[in-house]
Amino acid sequence: MKHRPFRGLGAILFKEFIVVWRDPMTLFFMFFPPLVEMIAFGYALDTDVKHMAMVIFNEDRTVDSRLFIDRFVNTETFRVVGEVQSIEAMSSEIRKGHAYAGLQIPPKFTQNVRAGFPAQVQLLVDGSNSTTALQALNTALAVALTQSIESLLRETGRHNVPIDIRPQMLYNPTMRSPNFYIPGVIGIVLQIGTTFATAMAVVRERERGTLEQLLVSPLSRWGLMLGKLVPYLCIGMTMAVILFLIMRFLFSVPINGSVIAMMFSTLVYVFALLSLGLLVGTKAENQMQALQMSMTYMLPSVFFSGFVFPRETMPWIFYALGTLLPATYFISLMRAIILRGAHFFEYWPHLIILLIMSISLFCVCALMFRKKIG
Amino acid sequence: METMIECKDLTKRFGNFTAVDHVSFSVEKGSIFGFLGPNGSGKSTVIRMLCGILEPSDGTARIGGHDIIREGEAIKEMIGYMSQKFSLYDELSVNENLIFAGKLYDLRGRELIKRRDELIAITHLERDINKRAGLLSGGMRQRLAMACSLMHKPTVLFLDEPTAGIDPVARRELWDLLFEFTAQGMTLFVTTHYMDEAERCDHVGYIYMSKLIVCGEPDELKQMAEVNPPGTRRLDVTCDHVTTALRAMRELRGVRSATVFGQSMHLLVDENVRRAEIDEKLNGVGISHAEIHEMGPSLEDVFVTLSAKYAGEQQQQQQAA
Repeated sequence: MKHRPFRGLGAILFKEFIVVWRDPMTLFFMFFPPLVEMIAFGYALDTDVKHMAMVIFNEDRTVDSRLFIDRFVNTETFRVVGEVQSIEAMSSEIRKGHAYAGLQIPPKFTQNVRAGFPAQVQLLVDGSNSTTALQALNTALAVALTQSIESLLRETGRHNVPIDIRPQMLYNPTMRSPNFYIPGVIGIVLQIGTTFATAMAVVRERERGTLEQLLVSPLSRWGLMLGKLVPYLCIGMTMAVILFLIMRFLFSVPINGSVIAMMFSTLVYVFALLSLGLLVGTKAENQMQALQMSMTYMLPSVFFSGFVFPRETMPWIFYALGTLLPATYFISLMRAIILRGAHFFEYWPHLIILLIMSISLFCVCALMFRKKIG
Repeated sequence: METMIECKDLTKRFGNFTAVDHVSFSVEKGSIFGFLGPNGSGKSTVIRMLCGILEPSDGTARIGGHDIIREGEAIKEMIGYMSQKFSLYDELSVNENLIFAGKLYDLRGRELIKRRDELIAITHLERDINKRAGLLSGGMRQRLAMACSLMHKPTVLFLDEPTAGIDPVARRELWDLLFEFTAQGMTLFVTTHYMDEAERCDHVGYIYMSKLIVCGEPDELKQMAEVNPPGTRRLDVTCDHVTTALRAMRELRGVRSATVFGQSMHLLVDENVRRAEIDEKLNGVGISHAEIHEMGPSLEDVFVTLSAKYAGEQQQQQQAA
């Protein structure tokens, strides 16, 4: 009998597809948690600050002061939730968490502005969440600055500001944070079902003793590994398509680049994740170990892949750690293709790295798998 | 006769523990080799080494002329293995388990279907062909596991405790099948705890404390001098209240050993002990009508005697050292 590298692949595929199909629990756990997490993450990671609760302490009570408050509301960053009658009441509202910001307009606000004297307006911001506080601060400063410039313009008789900066946000014109996060969420969420599924597929055979039965047959290890991987690759890709549909239609993130490139990158990425799962499966003695081993990989990939925190600002050791994770390249590829509509010549290095990673991971797990026990 | 399996000084160590210690034996083609020994004595370890899934620490073995270390893949084509656990895929039906086993060995198309139908007929699984393996009874699982291991027509079949946890009828049916296979030239290597099964083997080996302490035809073993000390004979005594009788017998002068076997007891006595003495002793403890027959040693007597002797020798050696 001649030696074929993928001997027994057909048999394993036949068996594995039936086993996967008849095991509703595995299918459920491959599909359900990633879907829920995709939707939850998608909404939760929306860091755009909108309609922050603000209380007003208006001691001026003029048309001008009300117009000034309206400007705050018109930015859509703030909404007025109430008026207070003292500075103590204002800070108490913030402390109780009823409001994020408080705006105090002093008694002679309109009078001072009109007379050309500086009018002091106090803004209190809850700084416990730095992201929202920063945005509140920026918006408030912008409102005050615009108002000040308009007053000055009126005095000088000019109609326009001397320098007019017209920023244009490329690739994500409305600055929506879902556009930035969702492609990354897909990368993270895909890890949940896939890596663990192939790890379990191998560990379960070891626990049940069926692996021993396979080892006495002339089945090749390449055939075994590929046969284990392909059914889960099909499930993983189905999953990915659903996630992309959610991204496109539920979160309205447009796909600017090539859908084929996006799907191909996903295929390579899922292949890498499944190979990693196989590697875990060949090393783990039981399901508990497999779970723990998968977890040690999953958490770093959330933090160091650039999913939430930009990798460029990390200490070099974590930056280096990130370069080892398939998720890093996948997320960067997804942002390039989906958000920036990048051309193949602009992102191919990352695709090649991902490709090399997934093929070598697969080779390593096939070569490390010994057709022996004990 | 052609030799099918040949082990020479086969040894397996796990750390400091020697699980199999210089085991040598050979099995002829078309015969049944019964491999016996207490739990943990190294039976499964020997099978796993012969099947090529466990590397021996020392020694060699050949199956059908192929070396188990260097020609493992060639051996895999010709052997079948049925593990203790009857390793089946519970999610797959009887039919699918068989098809899978066939595909593993490159059977396909009409040949695959034909072989499956043959084995279903042999193992009487016709009625359950579409039943999930997970829903089968112990006896049916065992038959299916055997059918799976036979799909590729192996020339050597290893069965690791094939009858553990199986009812007596299923046990007998299995052995009838095994004899049919040997008639067709298949070589069988069977581990078991049952003495009646051991009696039916062409050759038996007994492994004790990792060493093969005896190996040969059952009748040969019963003739061994160690089992039949000169100047003794074996008696089978059937009577009521066996446990009371046993105590009485152990007190009787000239009785070297007494063991209960179901409703009777086996005695190893000095030749000069007369039946009348035994009757008299039993009457003394209120037991009458004892049936006493002269008998040869059973295989169990052989193994019990030899392992006691071996354990004694080991102890002496340790004390000397």
